[in-house]
Amino acid sequence: MLQGALAGLAAGGLYAVLAVCLTLMARLVRVVNFSQAATGMFGGFVAVWFVSQQGWPIWAASIVGIVIGGALSAIIGWIIATWLSEADTSTRSAVTVGPLLLLISLSFIMFGNKPQPFQPIIAGTAFSIGGVFISQVTVATVLMALIVAVIARVVLTRTSVGTKLRALSERPTTAELLGIPSKPLSIAVWAMTGIVSALVIIIVAPSQSNDATSLSMLIVPAAAASLLGAFRRLDMAVIGGLLLGVLQGVVAQIDQVSFVRNFLPFLFIVGFLLWMQRKEVWDAAR
Amino acid sequence: MNTLSLENVTVSRGAGPVISDVNLTVDPGTITALVGPNGAGKTSLLEAISGVIDASSGSILVDGEPIRKLSRVKRARLGIVHIEQGRAVFPSLTVLENIRLTAATAAKADEALAAFPELEKRRSSPSGLLSGGEQQMVVLARAFASEPRFLLIDEMSLGLAPVVFMRLLPMVQRFSEAGVGVLLVEQFTNLALGVASQALVVSSGKVSYQGDTATLLRSPGVLHGAYLGSTD
Amino acid sequence: MRPAKSKTVRRIALPIIVGVIAITLGYVLSAGLSGYFVYLGMSVVVAAIAILGLGIVTGSAGMIALCQLTFAAVGAWIVSGLNLISAPGGFIVWLVLGGLAAGVVGVLIGLPALRLRGVNLAVVTLGFAAAADVTLVQIQFPGSTNGVAVNRPDAFSDDRSFFFLSVIILVVCAVVVYFLQNSRWGSSWKSVAFSERGTASVGASVSTSKLTAFAVSATLGGLSGGLIAGQVGLAFASSFTPLQSLALYVLAIMSGAHLIDMAIFGGLLWVIVPELLKRWGVPQDWGFVIFGALGVQALTSGTNLGQAIRNLWWKRAAKRRPVDAYVGSLVESGPDLDTVVDSAAELSTTPVLVVENLSVTFGQVKALSKVNLTVYENSIMGLIGPNGAGKSTFVDAISGFLPQNEGTVVLDGRPLRGLAPTKRARLGLRRTFQQDRVPPSLTVDAYVRFVARRRVSAAEIAEVLEFFGCPPASTRLVSVDVGTRRLVEVAANVLSKPRVLLLDEPAAGLSHEEHVELGRRLLQAPARFGLAIVLIEHDLDLVRSVCQTLTVLDFGEVLASGPQAEVLTQPAVMKAYMGETEML
Repeated sequence: MLQGALAGLAAGGLYAVLAVCLTLMARLVRVVNFSQAATGMFGGFVAVWFVSQQGWPIWAASIVGIVIGGALSAIIGWIIATWLSEADTSTRSAVTVGPLLLLISLSFIMFGNKPQPFQPIIAGTAFSIGGVFISQVTVATVLMALIVAVIARVVLTRTSVGTKLRALSERPTTAELLGIPSKPLSIAVWAMTGIVSALVIIIVAPSQSNDATSLSMLIVPAAAASLLGAFRRLDMAVIGGLLLGVLQGVVAQIDQVSFVRNFLPFLFIVGFLLWMQRKEVWDAAR
Repeated sequence: MNTLSLENVTVSRGAGPVISDVNLTVDPGTITALVGPNGAGKTSLLEAISGVIDASSGSILVDGEPIRKLSRVKRARLGIVHIEQGRAVFPSLTVLENIRLTAATAAKADEALAAFPELEKRRSSPSGLLSGGEQQMVVLARAFASEPRFLLIDEMSLGLAPVVFMRLLPMVQRFSEAGVGVLLVEQFTNLALGVASQALVVSSGKVSYQGDTATLLRSPGVLHGAYLGSTD
Repeated sequence: MRPAKSKTVRRIALPIIVGVIAITLGYVLSAGLSGYFVYLGMSVVVAAIAILGLGIVTGSAGMIALCQLTFAAVGAWIVSGLNLISAPGGFIVWLVLGGLAAGVVGVLIGLPALRLRGVNLAVVTLGFAAAADVTLVQIQFPGSTNGVAVNRPDAFSDDRSFFFLSVIILVVCAVVVYFLQNSRWGSSWKSVAFSERGTASVGASVSTSKLTAFAVSATLGGLSGGLIAGQVGLAFASSFTPLQSLALYVLAIMSGAHLIDMAIFGGLLWVIVPELLKRWGVPQDWGFVIFGALGVQALTSGTNLGQAIRNLWWKRAAKRRPVDAYVGSLVESGPDLDTVVDSAAELSTTPVLVVENLSVTFGQVKALSKVNLTVYENSIMGLIGPNGAGKSTFVDAISGFLPQNEGTVVLDGRPLRGLAPTKRARLGLRRTFQQDRVPPSLTVDAYVRFVARRRVSAAEIAEVLEFFGCPPASTRLVSVDVGTRRLVEVAANVLSKPRVLLLDEPAAGLSHEEHVELGRRLLQAPARFGLAIVLIEHDLDLVRSVCQTLTVLDFGEVLASGPQAEVLTQPAVMKAYMGETEML
């Protein structure tokens, strides 16, 4: 039981990092970014290609991959900030379905549709609790989730850029009328979350099923985790991610219910949505 | 040349024009009142000046340079500050954060805050928790901190008790005394005309009077006509 | 009313005639095409059925659904399973059951995302697609492991005839969708996509509208999947991956699949693009790359192929027949009425709407406090006051959009506490909005029938439209300006024969002359249509000429209430309006 739970923690950390990215995107640039994991996947695949085809050292290839992940995200952000600056969340989010489809297919063309020979940046055991070994990857992802969430919080509440971002997320038009440059700031948010997603995927991919579709579809558990914080609270997004990972780990250990494993993120999503809609709310805009 | 001027500006929404052929010059240190019944196109005109929407024709000039091609952000940096209808605070930001958004220096923010003693003690509360009048003060303080050259104010009195609104009006005068050109849209016509030197009366999308306020106040038929349609 | 009748006949006959032609064409193709093309043709047909479904949920109802092929998998699974156990009824019955099963799954999936708007449905459906995909790979389709292929019906057992069968099913689906799109359901889908408040305020349930769209879409997905099972014999999970669902969604968006012809065109693209790439020796994955890029283009520009073609066509048609464009207005059209308001006229003493101690608080701000008023049968009450006085909040609270209020609202002796807006509208409490909430994708006729919620004859519609100076019923709302749209909104709500109609600045955006004309029409409305009106209006001329009684709101409180002559002469009222008393 404990073993399963701890085994699921690595995936949980991954979900948590992506969930933090998704939450930041939803709050700051009003998008549920369906291509959040896909840009990271593409950056990761580029890194693998440089290592396996060009013989680059892993660290150098990883940096290139992370930069590409950030750049792809920034391009999508630029498109949305340019043409859909006034559109509602639904329309803005729908656009990201296009890049999700495009990036998966493009990676099939460029890298084939087999799982990629990711070389681990981090490997080995960190320590053990009660006879169960905790891998370094687990420690790294869980730490990363916490660090990203804390940094994001500090930036948002303590810096002037953070104040501007919050102002933009609350009243975009008013913020612009005060001379706050919405477009560069939102593209920066896209780029940053793209970089973080690519980084975490490069760290975790060696120990995951790492074909293009599986990696891109990490968006589903990440969205489930973000829903725990209603796409607003970073702390709940981290908890949601870890919880989901642990639950999946536990369920996988019990033969009778292991088939539920695939449906866990979905059930998470359905459960939260039902909980959130206890009361009927009328959106002023629509 | 230090003016904000409108030449034959027409603003449309959807199918037809909501306000047409406006010619107007806002000089530094003056207050121009823009009055008229609801739906006359006053808000749309302000929005076209600040860049929320684009005017459908005519030109808008600052210091003689056309600005219609500029984004909202660039217009704001030219010194055009638009105070929107309703209380446009960022609710989760504290009072001080709201004001610091636009202040060039921390000292400027403090100066703006000092102008409103009521806000001083609430500087660290989220502005969404303030009363309507206090929120409007935050908006004015924020505008003050940004050192505007031209100030567009849209229905500051909306949902405020007259007592509160009377407290805010002198602030508008302080802006003009500091050399800011103010364009004031206000439903309380008399109060607005009381502080303004120039007035524009609009009804049904047309300018029906333009000139100094004193003359307008001497001919009540104009206002009557704009608000009530006919002079009976 | 002969032209109206012939129009109705045409509306029913036309799709059936087109359907018959399409089936004939399908037969010719099934006989004439080479075997390979017949097989490709089947793929076109099944894709077209799936896209037809997506057109409803995404195109008409404006939701994001990313699991259309998972619904297809449900259909295929049911057909394969029933085939394996040799269930009675044969392929056609299995197919229908497969479609229905997918519809049921669709309802279950759609339920959690109903009340929350925005992207929740997208998250739910993508989650479902991902989970179902992994599960399908594990459990496989019934019969696929031991090679039990799905039995096609005897009469359609070879590829050619099965293609013909698919065409027949597509045509049946398309005709059904056509009628649904033109029914109350179709109007509710388009309405909910434009405005949820607008939908609820005319007595249509927002949840039901979304759910029916999603269920019909899923059913079509299931039918499509069932046909795939029949086409390939042994179904595999690889035909129903999430990636393909995403591509299908994007394709539906860019082609404009709420239009039936474009759904079929989408089906063609679905097959032709990869086929061409294959012939040119290009990797087929480029197909989805292209779809992805075009999808981004379509979504960012908010356009789609089908609508663009239609707009072009309408523009040209309008050029050829300029008379079609609506130029009438209240002033020029409608019967001439010479009635002057008689404010001293006997007022009915039967109260129809009684509001007691109504209070609404937003945070620290009291938007309304202890508002009392009574509206009598067949009367017009004016609700006036400065901007921000709480007039729209009052209408929102009365019509059920602000459930967190205090006080009582009684309509015809029935307390409305706790009732949703939809329910209140059905009880005869209707309202209009200050903002434009009239769905532009409908025609005036479809909108009026949708809002009326009762059987109305074409003659009755034409009469009321003319009375309020609205454009003719066949006009598309998209071509009408906002001011006129709000007149249509008023006319449509009057046609619903409400007990009370709350009009929130119905004349905003009209000229002063039109204000006065609208007032004269409104004056006649209570007697003519048997309703009471609460009119929010700024134009005192209009108020004066129409309202027997007035209530003045200021800072959320009732400043004055009573017969208009008494109220308007109170100095406090004028002060509230102009700031000071000297002016008036």
